[in-house]
Amino acid sequence: MRSDEEILDLEICECGEKSVTDAIEIFQNTSLPFKKAKKLVTECNKSCCRAALLKLYDMNQFGSYDYKEIEELIEKRLERLKNLSEGV
Amino acid sequence: MMASKWDKLRCWLLDLNVIDKEISDPSEIKRLDLSSNSLVSLPSDIGILSELIVLNLANNKLQSLPESLKDLKKLNNLDIRRNDFSVLPKVIAHMNIKSLIASSNRLTDVEPLSQIKSLRVVDLSSNKLKDIKALFCDENEVRSLNLASNYLQDISSLVSVLSYVERLNVSENILSSVPATVKRMQNIVDIDFSLNEINTIDEAFFDLPAESVNLCSNRITNITLHGLEDLEVLILDENPIQKIALKNGFAPFLKEFSCDGCEIDTFLPFTSKEIESLSYPSNSLTEIPEFIENYTKLIKLDLEDNKIVKLPNALANLTQLQTVYLKGNPLDDESKHIIEILHPDICDITMKTNITIEQATIEDVPQMADLLALLFAIEKDFEVDYEKQLQGVTKLLRHTGSTLLVAKDNKKVVGMVTMQELISSAAGDMVGQIEDLIVLPEYRKMGIGSRLINKIRYIALQENKYERVQLAADIDNDYALAFYTRRGFRKTNLAIFHQSH
Repeated sequence: MRSDEEILDLEICECGEKSVTDAIEIFQNTSLPFKKAKKLVTECNKSCCRAALLKLYDMNQFGSYDYKEIEELIEKRLERLKNLSEGV
Repeated sequence: MMASKWDKLRCWLLDLNVIDKEISDPSEIKRLDLSSNSLVSLPSDIGILSELIVLNLANNKLQSLPESLKDLKKLNNLDIRRNDFSVLPKVIAHMNIKSLIASSNRLTDVEPLSQIKSLRVVDLSSNKLKDIKALFCDENEVRSLNLASNYLQDISSLVSVLSYVERLNVSENILSSVPATVKRMQNIVDIDFSLNEINTIDEAFFDLPAESVNLCSNRITNITLHGLEDLEVLILDENPIQKIALKNGFAPFLKEFSCDGCEIDTFLPFTSKEIESLSYPSNSLTEIPEFIENYTKLIKLDLEDNKIVKLPNALANLTQLQTVYLKGNPLDDESKHIIEILHPDICDITMKTNITIEQATIEDVPQMADLLALLFAIEKDFEVDYEKQLQGVTKLLRHTGSTLLVAKDNKKVVGMVTMQELISSAAGDMVGQIEDLIVLPEYRKMGIGSRLINKIRYIALQENKYERVQLAADIDNDYALAFYTRRGFRKTNLAIFHQSH
């Protein structure tokens, strides 16, 4: 069970090497639509971290953050990558 | 016997605080929310709740369900998302449910579904489903099916029995093709194939009556768009498209097309007159053809990061066009002039990009007082008085429990928002009262207001841990009311009264 602070330190995007805190900061400093705001975080065109970033973007738009849900989405993606690499 | 079963169950439900104390008979319970209670099992006699229609078991630690659930003959909706199921319990096969939400478990086996004919809505997303042959029986009437985030490689058998399905989401699996059996989905409206490994699309797909198709993030290299006569939305983003062609008659009512990062060099000549949004960012377009003037309903045009030098004059005639992205193109001066004439509400090349959001300092106060004059000029309840506003902002800045943010273009204050800490007897703690959100007219439509409100709300709810934020807006200011509503604020039943000396 991670604390909110620990979740904020988690890496949400490997391509852009951004933590949850970094992503929140970026989303707060832009009013671009999600697709474009996402690229500011990822600095690429890939969609690997889309689910967690989309949720975080929506949370930023509505001003209420559920860090546990973000943690779950990050972990789910990591688990999926692991499963795919193991041929599950 | 029945009475003692009920007494026991009633105690259990009361302990969980999920029913009212007044409930004295099991038939009084029609909806039961047992979500987020860390339950590892359910009472074996839960089946005595014979009138139950909705049962929410989400966010628990369940791995099985009691056999007595089959006695819940009126149950329509069962929600078991976010539990620990690896196999769908057999009892489900004997239930006449219409909606089953079983997302975010560890399901590898969902065999009981093949025995239920009543299902209309099924969500099995974020599980571990791999090989699905016959998910449903031939007589099924499933309308909405979500299988996103599983490990499906082949859905040909699955879709062959989905003749009633209207919404199908198979996003984030490992599909390599859209099979010929999709032709059975003659009622499909919305289909999501995104985030797979699709490189082959069967011809039958183009005969579907779908209105929205998402094929984003696949491996499509060659596609000829044709048929799809009811299509309104097509997303092809992030495919390594080498060849894309268009046949006559494709999607005559298409409204939205997106191909972000597809490496294409052709602006497609859609014949639809209904086009509202065209997105071609991160491609290799070198020119925009004159026929773009045919898209008289175009609202959004995204051409960011291409190789466009010249824009057609016809672009200036598209009077509905509100949003244009052109950054990252080597546009010539004439093209920039066309954008000036067009003057869209939002355009990235005319938008100021160096606006910062900062905590206000004493040096900012005079400019903030000027800004407030703009705000009070449109609010009937207030009068513009520079000295009073100067005094007010100065006091606010020095007052403990206040937060003042400014948006700055270099040293110029172009926007502001303030917040004061209050104690709410209703909330039993601190709340933030947001006021004075204003942006200079020439800096509007650049998202500065959104950034100010997002930032101050973050300070209030995340950093200061206020119980809530609240604000008052002029009831005649439709723009402001819509602005706050879009950002999650809800209108209350309270009216504001005030009295002066």
